[in-house]
Amino acid sequence: MRGAVLPISMVPGNSVVHKIAPLPKLLWAVGVLIISFSTRNPAILGAMIVLGLFLASISNIWSSFLKVMGILFPIMVIAIFLQSIAPAFPQPWTPIAQLGPFTIYQEGIYSGLTLFERTFSMTIFAMVFIMTTHPSDLFVSLEKIGMPYVINFILTVTLQLIPILQREFATVLSAQKSRGMKGTGFGAVLPSMVPVFVGAIERVQQMSISLESRAFGSTGKKTSYRNVVMGVKDYVIMVVGLLASAVTLYWILVDKSLDWSRTMHFSPTLSVILVITAALIFVTFIVISVSKIIKT
Amino acid sequence: MMNTKEPIIEFRDVTFYYPISETPALQNINLKIYEGEYVAILGLNGAGKTTLQLCLNGVIPNMIMGELTGDVFIKGLNTRDYPTRELAKIVGMVFDNPEFQLTQTSVAEEVALGLENLGTSPHDMEEIIGEVLQTVGLSGLKDRSPFELSGGQQQRLAIASALAMHPEIFVMDEPTSNVDPVGKEEIIAVAAKLNQEKHMTVILAEHEVEVVAQYADHVIVIDKGKIILDGTPQQVFNQIDVLAKCGLRTPQVTEFFNQINQSKKLGIKELPIKIDEAESLMLNQFEKK
Repeated sequence: MRGAVLPISMVPGNSVVHKIAPLPKLLWAVGVLIISFSTRNPAILGAMIVLGLFLASISNIWSSFLKVMGILFPIMVIAIFLQSIAPAFPQPWTPIAQLGPFTIYQEGIYSGLTLFERTFSMTIFAMVFIMTTHPSDLFVSLEKIGMPYVINFILTVTLQLIPILQREFATVLSAQKSRGMKGTGFGAVLPSMVPVFVGAIERVQQMSISLESRAFGSTGKKTSYRNVVMGVKDYVIMVVGLLASAVTLYWILVDKSLDWSRTMHFSPTLSVILVITAALIFVTFIVISVSKIIKT
Repeated sequence: MMNTKEPIIEFRDVTFYYPISETPALQNINLKIYEGEYVAILGLNGAGKTTLQLCLNGVIPNMIMGELTGDVFIKGLNTRDYPTRELAKIVGMVFDNPEFQLTQTSVAEEVALGLENLGTSPHDMEEIIGEVLQTVGLSGLKDRSPFELSGGQQQRLAIASALAMHPEIFVMDEPTSNVDPVGKEEIIAVAAKLNQEKHMTVILAEHEVEVVAQYADHVIVIDKGKIILDGTPQQVFNQIDVLAKCGLRTPQVTEFFNQINQSKKLGIKELPIKIDEAESLMLNQFEKK
């Protein structure tokens, strides 16, 4: 179990996106986040998805990216199914098709699609950001713009602790199995909580002693081993990101015709196919993960 | 021993109880350690080796609560008055569980952590990191995550991280418990080298009596929180009966000579503790016959 790492972590690489400093990338990710929450226009959201997928493709993170998306995509897709039968939208709803006991509404399809696009675009940008940025570089950058060192340090240590706890869970679970106890499912995880968390508390105490023993928190000037230098390119990317976000946001707020919820029409057959596909993807995902849990 | 100088470490009537515990973990400890000594602390598990070492950088009484009487002085500083993070500039400490000491995302950053806290410039840092990783034999692994290393490598990393801060006193708690036999010799030898070349005071808790006999020049035996023996390896390892009472053994050469000394009545007063001493003594005996 040594070397177990988080599924969402940096993928080392040398791509154009990797070489951008953390702050400009963070700014873009936050910009996308704000815009995706401010609009329900499928075209704008779709454009961000395309841009995000393009960035993912040029940063050589494809395999890890797809692995994470394989888990997140089905969960996001279910929005289409749920929204189409019960739209989070003001009445009146326009029914367009009947799927067994469910009535599918025009507004539901629109709402579901945009909700899906919204989460999808945010997730893509967040993934590209996380997978191309070394956590230490990010923390150094954040420190430079005024994030307190202690908070940064807590974040670093937490990132380290998660894989350790995962590993410890696995150890306790196999120990339980070898003593003839249940080794899988929720019933096995529950009793292993106590040893793992008692162990974690002990570990944190030991860690604090060992940190103090290395002069952590001592008086005097502190230096930093890692250094992030922002080049001209990084500032340009940052300014472009800032401008693009601001302009788009302004456009969304001013132009009321961007709301396509009543003007965009979906054909009944297409809607039914869409809803069934979404539901199938979600159900397949559930079946696969349940069978995985049972197997292990 | 250089008794004319001030001791770098001094324990004065130190008694320590862990919280809730009825029996003392340390009892009436009086101890003087001088600069440049290579000290080995011998004792069974639970004898108080770790507790004694934790007193050296003020973790006891500053971070571990409990009842401490008496005083510990490090370079004349009373550990009650200085937090561990300040004493860390003098005392470097390696704990027995290496994994619990690692917090960073790469080997180089792990070593850098202590240096950052001391305010070392990034340029010097790079140099020191390369140097200590070379010393402990981890040169090629600079960018690896500390958690992807084997147990032995993690221990070496913990040692490197402490060494990087160039402490005057270097304390290791069973540093070789996770390391393979070859690595064990290497680590002890590294400490010996630092001790000789840089005049670093080394304090080592260890089980392996052969290793202790080879390198240490001051041996302390503790049992149930009390100092039983305190002297040169020669003096300590000749007390075979006392050591046996504490559950410890002497180096095998010493034991061997003790047995033939008694059965053949050779009348050897000072038993050898190292192989080369034993060799010359043996040759001596042959020549007599």
